[in-house]
Amino acid sequence: MNIILEARDVRYRYPAGREAIKGISFHIRRGEKIALVGPNGAGKSTLLQMFNGMIRPDSGTILFDNKPVRYDTGSLRQLRKSVGYVLQNPDRQIIAPTVYQDVAFGPANLGYDEQAIRNAVAVALRHVGLDGFERRAPHQLSGGEKKRVAIAGVLAMDPDLLVFDEPTSGLDPSGSEDLMELLDELNHEGKTIIISTHDVELAYPWADRAILLLDGQILQEDVPDVAFGNPHHVRMAHLSVPTLLDLSQELGRRGFAQPERKPRSVLDMIHIIENLLNRSEGRTRTGTITVCDIDKEHDMPLNTWISSRQNLAVGAMGTRAKQRAGHEQLTLDFTYGVIDKCILRALRGQDSLILTTGSMAGRVVTRVAEYCRESGNTIAVIPLDTAGSVPYENK
Amino acid sequence: MIETNLDNIAQQSAFRHIHPGTKLLLALGSLIICLVSPFPAVPLISGIVLSLVLIVPGRISPRVYGTILLGPAVFTAISIVVLLFMLGGGEVLWRFNPLPWIDLSITSGAVRESMLVLCRVFGCSISLFFITLTTPISDLFNGMKRIGIPIELIDLMMIIYRYIFIVYDQAVEIWNAQVMRLGYSRPREAVRSFSMLCGMLFISSWIAGEDLIRAMDCRCYNGIMPSLDSAEPVMWRSLVPVLVYLAGLGGILLMMTAGMVAVS
Repeated sequence: MNIILEARDVRYRYPAGREAIKGISFHIRRGEKIALVGPNGAGKSTLLQMFNGMIRPDSGTILFDNKPVRYDTGSLRQLRKSVGYVLQNPDRQIIAPTVYQDVAFGPANLGYDEQAIRNAVAVALRHVGLDGFERRAPHQLSGGEKKRVAIAGVLAMDPDLLVFDEPTSGLDPSGSEDLMELLDELNHEGKTIIISTHDVELAYPWADRAILLLDGQILQEDVPDVAFGNPHHVRMAHLSVPTLLDLSQELGRRGFAQPERKPRSVLDMIHIIENLLNRSEGRTRTGTITVCDIDKEHDMPLNTWISSRQNLAVGAMGTRAKQRAGHEQLTLDFTYGVIDKCILRALRGQDSLILTTGSMAGRVVTRVAEYCRESGNTIAVIPLDTAGSVPYENK
Repeated sequence: MIETNLDNIAQQSAFRHIHPGTKLLLALGSLIICLVSPFPAVPLISGIVLSLVLIVPGRISPRVYGTILLGPAVFTAISIVVLLFMLGGGEVLWRFNPLPWIDLSITSGAVRESMLVLCRVFGCSISLFFITLTTPISDLFNGMKRIGIPIELIDLMMIIYRYIFIVYDQAVEIWNAQVMRLGYSRPREAVRSFSMLCGMLFISSWIAGEDLIRAMDCRCYNGIMPSLDSAEPVMWRSLVPVLVYLAGLGGILLMMTAGMVAVS
């Protein structure tokens, strides 16, 4: 098993005297999405700061890549290159007077040459959807944009593990969803992601595993439906049971049979309810999901294609797909949880189009296939280049 | 958030993308010509032309521009009144003698001199405004590095510049919180509130400073503050009009000087 980060009986007491971390042990595998959840003052931020060596535990060991973290300057630099840390308040993280300089800060200090710095900055800014912002001053940006600059600054160092302290604090709901989607995108590219949050609704569908922290100790560590499913622990940690989980538990209490896997999304919930009502047999036809890889089709008249189809919903997955939609002035129906929402539409017999980029297109196919296997439905996923006979007729 | 500060106007200026060197040449060139000119007409022309350039192709709203000029204008007006009474020479134009030991008079020489000072101040301030309203400070850092200003000083300036806005935002927040709770309703209260504001600001700046070091450490700080990607190259399209303008202004000055020499 490929473990990227491990803590062994870590303890830490603040100089002022309060013991913030009281013996914590856990491990995180490469490529996992971890939510560290707990009330204020549970020690989330303190623990996170140990991951990149900002705080040195009084006792116990932190292991990165199976090697104990060393605290000499050289080792710390190496660690901080591999563990990107995004602070809660982007104003505290953005150092330089322009976006370019701030994103270039990490690469420049790592000793990259001029061309490599320029490339790293361009890639990072493109990733967070801020290309063209190079010369802007941070104080002119909105909260969400500042957050993205902060993330780009960390991405420019190309870390393996990304640590986010309260990533959605201060963002509006749509901004939060965009950000969570960006985290998904990064995870999909192979980055391990740890976030701290007290937003259970956000953490529940997103995380692979949740670690509940209370008073400097781990209360529970498990897959989200188990971690958030224990009402006693949830209450102790000053959290609340996620609505979907609550609903499913309530259905269970009323004697409706519940599947082994708890619902993580509206789609899962609909599936459960339809099963309970035996509705799925009566379905005449499912809709289709068309996937458009925006990297492949360069001068395709997307607008014409979309307007030629009736009752079509359009969703975009990934920052670049959303930007492209913006450039082509397409109205997006979905920007978050796109695949699930399109499956839901397909189940109602309606068609959808998903705009996305290379690697994520495969994810649509996998996710839909997975759903069909579990539910016994059939939904066609069509890549746009083969469905392309339609747009080219309209030319 | 500071909405209408000079830096924001500069960020949005239509001349933002002209090489800062070209803009500096224009500003400093006209500044020097305004300073050496013994005739009020030269700085007056320079001030008017640069104002028109800022407003028409530069797309600065005339109202905002007027507001910006108001500050120096009031200050200059007061100084000019004092100068009118202080300077002498020529015939007396107006005399005010309210008490035997107070004798206030305005002479023709004083009027001439004060007019020259007024026009110089006008021309020179607009030359300086031209650079501040078209060039954000971050564009100038590169140039400073090139002319050999110590890098430590520039790094410090960059960080200070970044933090001006953060500290200012904090000050506004504290100020608003105090005003909402009637912190400035009476003079005594106002003094107390203001001192509290300063104290709070000091503490929060201190904390921000510690956070800054931490944020830099998080990103492997090794003593390097990257500079902005090199600015747009010097373009003939913008450099030529600047040279023509400066030559024109210089030409007017020379012609007037030649005319004066001929008369005398």
